[in-house]
Amino acid sequence: MPPVNGTFCVTVMKDRCINAKMPGKCATCVEVCPYDVYALDERGHVRVQNYNACVGCRICAEFCPEDAIRINPAESEFVVRSPWTFPQVEEIHQKAQSGQYALRGFGAMGFVPSFDNVTVVPSQIASPAPRDKYREECDMSVVIGEDSCEQPIYLKYPLFFAAMSFGALSREARMALAIGAAQTGIMSNTGEGGLLKDETWLIDGYENEARTLRRWQPGGSLIVQWSTGRWGVSAGYVRAGDGVEIKIGQGAKPGMGGHLLGAKVTPEIAAVRGIPVGSDALSPCRYYDVQNPDDMKHMVGLLRDVTEYQVPILFKLGPSRPYEDVKACVEAGADAISIDGLVGGTGASPAVVTQGVGIPTLALIPPAVRALKEMGVHHKVKLFILGGMRSGLDAFKAIALGADGVGFGAAAEIAMGCRACMACHTGRCPYGITSQDPELRARLEPVEAGRRLANFVEATAEEIKILTMLSGHASVSELGEEDLRAMDVNTAAITGLKLVGYERRLPWWAGREDELNVA
Amino acid sequence: MASVTDVRRQDVLTVGREPGERVEIAGTGLGLRAVNAQLRGTSPNGPIRIRDVAGLSGLAAGLEQGELLVDGHAGDYLAALNDGATVRVLGDVGRYLADNMTRGTVMVAGNAGYGAAPYCYGGCVVIDGDAGDFTAVMNKGATVIVGGDAGDDVATYMLAGEVIIAGDAGENLGNYLIRGNIYVGGEWKSLGHNTKLEAMTPDDVSKLERLFKEYGIDAEPSGFRKVGPLSVKPFYKSKSPAEADSQSRRT
Repeated sequence: MPPVNGTFCVTVMKDRCINAKMPGKCATCVEVCPYDVYALDERGHVRVQNYNACVGCRICAEFCPEDAIRINPAESEFVVRSPWTFPQVEEIHQKAQSGQYALRGFGAMGFVPSFDNVTVVPSQIASPAPRDKYREECDMSVVIGEDSCEQPIYLKYPLFFAAMSFGALSREARMALAIGAAQTGIMSNTGEGGLLKDETWLIDGYENEARTLRRWQPGGSLIVQWSTGRWGVSAGYVRAGDGVEIKIGQGAKPGMGGHLLGAKVTPEIAAVRGIPVGSDALSPCRYYDVQNPDDMKHMVGLLRDVTEYQVPILFKLGPSRPYEDVKACVEAGADAISIDGLVGGTGASPAVVTQGVGIPTLALIPPAVRALKEMGVHHKVKLFILGGMRSGLDAFKAIALGADGVGFGAAAEIAMGCRACMACHTGRCPYGITSQDPELRARLEPVEAGRRLANFVEATAEEIKILTMLSGHASVSELGEEDLRAMDVNTAAITGLKLVGYERRLPWWAGREDELNVA
Repeated sequence: MASVTDVRRQDVLTVGREPGERVEIAGTGLGLRAVNAQLRGTSPNGPIRIRDVAGLSGLAAGLEQGELLVDGHAGDYLAALNDGATVRVLGDVGRYLADNMTRGTVMVAGNAGYGAAPYCYGGCVVIDGDAGDFTAVMNKGATVIVGGDAGDDVATYMLAGEVIIAGDAGENLGNYLIRGNIYVGGEWKSLGHNTKLEAMTPDDVSKLERLFKEYGIDAEPSGFRKVGPLSVKPFYKSKSPAEADSQSRRT
């Protein structure tokens, strides 16, 4: 069952279509579509048999030899029929028929307070002169755990690939993330699906397990995730990473654990996770071995001990109460804290949770920064922001608000070829990214996908560099809230940024500059 | 935050040991880092004996080999992430015993607190006395034996392995059990969701006999009852009208 019905119009242009002119000569659309939108009858004619099943992946349009297919969104029902849009009506029909709630992939869709309502302030005459992006240097590096462990993590850019598990992603996608991180000097994260052995040498830039063929420089860092499900976790797993991330929650389903439905638990994934083939891998919503904040401190302590105090310990939070949650993580001993906002994606989650639970990513940053500043650890305990980050522009704004870097999850998938059809949970990803079907996985070539990821990271880093330097800075560590303006009152209220035109903070933020990222 | 400079010189003992020499560690005044570093660094012939460690959380975490004897009580997270060592405790242990163990054996002569043997993939945990609530939660393949009584929510969301309780169990036994077996010699207050009674087979009885003999459990296998899963996919699957919920099968 597709995640949302009837949201796309499927049009086949008969004047181009080979089958329309010569029945039986071409049925490419029938062959490539995983959702049976098209059908071939006994006379060799192709017809659209069920446009409602179309999820908008456009694989048919891409493979059509005559470019005869168009997949377009249906009319804007938000204007015409809201709140009873066709997708809403069909969702109710599905619940009435099946007694089950909808599941889907990706994150919240629609309009929420976002970075689009924030603008960058360039340097002119009344501020430090702009820097020359083409001829001067810009430091974008970030270090994690420089004061707490023997082997801190050095990131070349303030960017990383978000945690996406093997199981939610295919083997090829996990390999591509490691290759992309190795080429760009950033970090990748196993997610809570256990460790794919290949990642341990790919992340260092080696092609082979024996580490004799080094293909990619400068090498990246691999974070292993410690979660409520503990899939594939062992002492060896914990020691295999360059850092250990304790997952408390994620943006797409805060308050719930990870979901990997049985259809995607193949023998290979079952072996890595240590569970029976076909089992639903539903992580608990909480830790059964942590009952209070002191327990969490002890858990951090034992992870440091098992890794012999070599690597940093990170935390990942969902979007809940950022001020209190960040303070709790600092008290537990975190070297870095990632917060994943409302727009953060996932492979499978109840739609009502993905769409309706959590705090917009933009609104997480000011309270998190306030917490870190009050505890005297802002920029010492690193703050990373995730959830709908799309570009260097988003990254610059998050960093100027007080983050130390940003993570890309959905954007990384899109860089690999994803089209955001939100059908990840079906296991039928036509690009082989979130599928375990060998035929679909064969469409994703890890080295090529890794190259695309590296290209995306490099381009994004250049965007950050451009923005950093045109606003008068030589390092991302110099960015502050003065480099930004809110473009509407709502955003000014949420962020504490000065409002364009008014050129001051809103009254209730006056006198609270010590809570903001004032450089 | 922990710092690489936190370890004092006197915390790290330099011990010159002859082969076969008995190793004893007194935990008084030593932190976790100092104690566990010694446990990982030594490879004697025979067990290491350690005492005065009841206040340490995470003792013997992540060991891959060796034998440890705790003379007295132990704290929380004892033998967490154990991957091959044998750990014996002469007294009681705190919470989260053998957390996420993958191999090895952990034996407790006394009682274990809340959440014993959670998330374990393999190995064997034997508690001669009583065990607390949520014992063997998310067990993924270990054998967990309780010689006394166990609390509530034992074997919640177990995916594989064996849980054997010689005494009584509390509420919600085997709640959302997916796979694996639960054997109980006494009574339980209630069964959890997705469970059902299964008949004991000769293989089950033989298995219990072998384990009881190996670990010195005083119990008669033929009097045990077996609990198994009702469905391997109880969450994302539609129920048929004839499929009863085990919640109604209270004993």
